Amino acid sequence: MPEVLKAPLVVEFPFTRSLGPVQSAFLTGLRERVVLGVRTGDGRTLVPPVEYDPVTAEEIRDLVEVAPTGTVTTWAWNHAPRRDQPLDTPFAWVLVRLDGADTALLHALDAPGPDAVHTGMRVRIRWAEERTGAITDIACFEPYTGGQAELTGRTGGFEDPVTGIVAPARLDYTYSPGRAQTAYINALAEQRNVGERCPSCRKVYVPPRGACPTCGVATLEQVEVGPHGTVTTFCIVNIKAKNLDIEVPYVYAHIALDGAGLALHGRIGGIPYDEVRMGLRVEPVWTAGARYPDHYRPTGEPDADYDTYRELL
Amino acid sequence: MNREIAVVAFAQTDHRRTSEDISEVEMLMPVLHEVLARTGLKTADIGFTCSGSSDYLAGRAFSFTLALDGVGAWPPISESHVEMDGAWALYEAWTKLLTGDADTALVYSYGKSSPGPLRDVLTRQLDPYYVAPLWPDSVALAALQAQALVDAGDTDEPALAAVAARSRADATANSHAQLTGSVPQGEYLVRPLRTGDCPPIGDGAAAVILAAGDRARELCERPAWIRGIDHRIEAHGLGVRDLTDSPSTRLAAEKAGAFQRPVDTAELHAPFTSQEVVLRKALKLDDGVRVNPSGGALAANPVMAAGLIRVGEAAARIHRGEADRALAHATSGPCLQQNLVAVLEGDPR
Repeated sequence: MPEVLKAPLVVEFPFTRSLGPVQSAFLTGLRERVVLGVRTGDGRTLVPPVEYDPVTAEEIRDLVEVAPTGTVTTWAWNHAPRRDQPLDTPFAWVLVRLDGADTALLHALDAPGPDAVHTGMRVRIRWAEERTGAITDIACFEPYTGGQAELTGRTGGFEDPVTGIVAPARLDYTYSPGRAQTAYINALAEQRNVGERCPSCRKVYVPPRGACPTCGVATLEQVEVGPHGTVTTFCIVNIKAKNLDIEVPYVYAHIALDGAGLALHGRIGGIPYDEVRMGLRVEPVWTAGARYPDHYRPTGEPDADYDTYRELL
Repeated sequence: MNREIAVVAFAQTDHRRTSEDISEVEMLMPVLHEVLARTGLKTADIGFTCSGSSDYLAGRAFSFTLALDGVGAWPPISESHVEMDGAWALYEAWTKLLTGDADTALVYSYGKSSPGPLRDVLTRQLDPYYVAPLWPDSVALAALQAQALVDAGDTDEPALAAVAARSRADATANSHAQLTGSVPQGEYLVRPLRTGDCPPIGDGAAAVILAAGDRARELCERPAWIRGIDHRIEAHGLGVRDLTDSPSTRLAAEKAGAFQRPVDTAELHAPFTSQEVVLRKALKLDDGVRVNPSGGALAANPVMAAGLIRVGEAAARIHRGEADRALAHATSGPCLQQNLVAVLEGDPR
């Protein structure tokens, strides 16, 4: 078996999320170094606060202040912090019941080692220096000896409340395309278009994905197709794409390579955009060292008869 | 509505640390062919198809539509997908069969965890406002639950090690398992959990076929009748929950009829040793119940398929006459957030 193709794939996105009234008050409060909880109908105080009672689903809006000090209810020692976690030195994950709250908040505890951490220990919030109205405005917790810290007396009504958060997320993958697509990509690098034939319905898939979606069986027989093909349909692109150095307008087309059972797509060049037509015969154009065709250009052959490609539209 | 529905066939891949040589559909297809072959059915004979998977695992958008190539979904079939473990796809298929719209259903799920950083990927399922920005990984959250159990006196490290050892010893009889035999408990991954307390990370797929009434009897010598199935969820705030208990599992089991008569076998989806402690308590399982004869998720945990595999393993034991009444459990989310329980029975022998 040839070596498996692999490439890094980074999926990165900033999620923009709006906040409800309770979440907005809580996160704005953190920015102002005030911790707010929400009172349920049966008199419990939830921290972090939610918009609906987790038991009754009742809408809850009664905000109350709790202290920035509290007690660890469970913990876990993380000797190897991972990217984006609150601290980059070993720390304890903790659930902390803040003084005045009936539920616990998840965060990190900065402690010298696991022997310095236990359930029931007293901790207090260490505030981040730069605060924006996010859970990370709490930098972490730190060990603390003493009773409940004083309250500020504020329960909301902050100036300039935050109404949303932007939560960036990045995940790093290693992409590998699998057997069929690896074979296709490797052949393409040798300027050959190699599809795969379904053993049941005999259709030739280019590019192949390893399975025939009609028959649900593996496509294993390799078939070289092209290099010439027929434009089955096309569109004229008038908007320049970001990071793409192609002058507009240009034509993007479905091209049925000779011998293929379905069309692939590619750009058409070497002909004015307004002269491209269905049935136009084309061939791939390779640039030096490229692993795939740069575009397709007319071969000069007579146009294909509609009946030869009507099933490939 | 009272329609008898059974699991009539089950198949799974060998679960491996990586399957980089094959795509998702290439991994899935042999399992689909195997499960169909067990019944003699063809794709065209299947009344409803439902799958479970998550694009986040391999970082491939709309990967479930590509996986459909392996089913033979053209011309269009009656089909659905859940972004959940395949056990919940099975639940949807079960309801579809209950309505009478279909007599047979193909349920499959797959997960390729090898392309991505699984512990970090799973943080993206958490509360996006208060929790996900801290990136607490799946092992860390399980470790918080384990410590709560230790503090409550429900378990200790030797007891957890015994769960790990028993699971992987049982898995030596399971040719599909990834981690079997004598596995050292190892160092702390996130204390109090050691590497041995955690599931292997791997790729795999599974499929089952459901059938109703007489159709089930035609397709399988001893169908595994679904006597009840239910799923329930905990409050989403981790700090709101009692992490040492699983009231959602208990409620699902009650609704599924699990407590009406004792079961002889239970396949529990407990990716971490400590979670088996919680589930045994919630399900009131005594020592007479054979728990995870397959080795469970500690031996193979292809995310999105491992729950469906519990149902499949429980059903397969009934098919083979090794069990008469079995409980299957599937979980999803952090610290046993959401739980599904099915009760399966074979006809008297």
